[in-house]
Amino acid sequence: MRPPARLRRIGCTARRAARVLALLAALGGRAGAVLAATLGIHVQTPDGHALAGAVVTVRPLDAPPRRPAPAHAVMDQVNRAFAPDLLVIPVGSTVAFPNSDSVSHQIYSFSAAKRFQLPLYRGKPYPPVQFDQSGVITLGCNIHDDMLAYLLVTDAPYFGRTDAQGAWSTDVPRGRYRVSVWHPRLRESEADLERELTVGDADRADLQLRLLKSLQPAPITDRPHSWDY
Amino acid sequence: MPNLPHIQRPLRTRCRSAAMISLLALAATGRAADWEMSLDARLVTSDAGRSFMDGGLGATRYDRNDSGVQLGRARFALTASLGELWSAHLDASAWDDKDRSPVGVTEAYLQYRPYPRAGYRFRLKAGAFYPPISLENRAAGWESPYSLSYSAINTWVGVEVRTIGLEGQLEWLGTRTGHDFDLGLSAGAFGWNEGAGVVLAGNGFMLHDRQTPVFGRVGPPGAGALPFQQFDGRAGVYAGVEGRWLDRVVLRVLRYDNRADPTAMDFVSGAIAWQTRFNSAGLRVESGTGWTAILQWLDGETIIAPPGIQLQWPFRAQFALLSKRFGRQTLSARYDRFEVDSNIADGDGSQIGHAWTAAWMFETRAHWRLGLEWLRVQSSSYNRAELGGPPLATETQLQLAVRYAFGSGVR
Repeated sequence: MRPPARLRRIGCTARRAARVLALLAALGGRAGAVLAATLGIHVQTPDGHALAGAVVTVRPLDAPPRRPAPAHAVMDQVNRAFAPDLLVIPVGSTVAFPNSDSVSHQIYSFSAAKRFQLPLYRGKPYPPVQFDQSGVITLGCNIHDDMLAYLLVTDAPYFGRTDAQGAWSTDVPRGRYRVSVWHPRLRESEADLERELTVGDADRADLQLRLLKSLQPAPITDRPHSWDY
Repeated sequence: MPNLPHIQRPLRTRCRSAAMISLLALAATGRAADWEMSLDARLVTSDAGRSFMDGGLGATRYDRNDSGVQLGRARFALTASLGELWSAHLDASAWDDKDRSPVGVTEAYLQYRPYPRAGYRFRLKAGAFYPPISLENRAAGWESPYSLSYSAINTWVGVEVRTIGLEGQLEWLGTRTGHDFDLGLSAGAFGWNEGAGVVLAGNGFMLHDRQTPVFGRVGPPGAGALPFQQFDGRAGVYAGVEGRWLDRVVLRVLRYDNRADPTAMDFVSGAIAWQTRFNSAGLRVESGTGWTAILQWLDGETIIAPPGIQLQWPFRAQFALLSKRFGRQTLSARYDRFEVDSNIADGDGSQIGHAWTAAWMFETRAHWRLGLEWLRVQSSSYNRAELGGPPLATETQLQLAVRYAFGSGVR
């Protein structure tokens, strides 16, 4: 699953910034120290299959943390489901929750990172919600109990989601990094999936991460909406 | 079978139904109302004995005189928001089978639905609605998406059991806080259920989809049973527990007691209060590949104690359903077993039987549903013998259903 275009753009911006930084550093005559390299992450399930859609966040350990610029994202309600059902956004970002359905929704979160309630009646726009605290936010609908979505609010300067091959990569200045992996159906703690790695002289540094426990089974999505769940 | 005269009060019933419909119509004029109408027509062939709606002891909805085209159900449903936290729900149906009023209300209730907080969700219902027993009747209108006729257990629930009162439900939403399961508790208090049990002792278990409207009648005019009556001044109660593992497994247990006073009689109508209590349990398992398995179990008794005598009918029933979804098609098979005992020396009211159901359902993206169902019920009934027939009967019913639905929520 590809992240929404807006977030892909954010990723591109981060990569572009890294390249510019590297170029500036090179011009400044300190080539060896901060030249960019590619950091590639590969995430696998315990049985060795590629895990698509895993969220990867990368934080530098040497440099002072640089917060990514806030973004504006959209999470629509389509056919009694959140669309998309997962967004990764930098701290301070806003998310609009339109309702493209003919039925009403009442979305809510009781997650510590942001508690809110938002009734989405037909044809009534509501102002976007701002997310100022990092963490995972679980969203539900108070009318349709099986609706479920996640927002991951991150302060990491580099983040993205793995592709169908379970891979995600970004360009970073050389240095030491902490890499974290998260998935909504993860059964192990995020701390167990944190790795530190050094991006050294080579052009590319790769990290392979294999989950220890299998994911929760995916929600059943092809049940008719008129059924209770 | 004890003779149980019932004087009907159509006027009062109509007034109550009218009041309920007006309340909900009022609600519908508010914002955010969703409505739905559907018409379900059947092509039926059956060799069953006379149907319960005609005063017979057939175990299916349609008997051998009903072969041909029938009205399965005409239904109107409305859900209206009353502000942000309250909503009103109405489900009204017509069956064209000489009920007390041409259109009956199967469910009508108000729901209070505050937003979940700190991982807990609380809900309150007030009005007339089904208690949390069936794991089969999960589709709109309390219908089964697996077959046209419900299992013996849920047919009985649809005929005689309704909460006309209050129900509170508290759920711990573990799956929303990083766990694999949710837990729920529910408790209800209700009235107007003194008649529940009379159909079990009179007809025994049946397999059909004819839900009794609130304050409606089961059986023909003048001789039918009235399950929803209140004259002993005692409220019934139930309490249940539900556990869910992700969205794959549901386990439900419920203890139900209508706390009717079995010695109470309504001296106006001559109706007796049926003290009915039971335990119910159910398990539903679904796979990500379209398989569903449902097991339900029911065990209870119904008692009446007119002066100098106590009559008791213990009952129990189970079913196992296996279903597979292929895109928009669902194939299901179900096996039912059911039994009503009697403490009366000659076995008055006792029944034992089993049934096989096979069904194919096809739903289009919106509007249309086709259903084909074969149902065979084999049962032995004391009451059948008492009417002069053989106690043992094998009844087979084949139905083709075509349903068209439209409304604000159906696109």
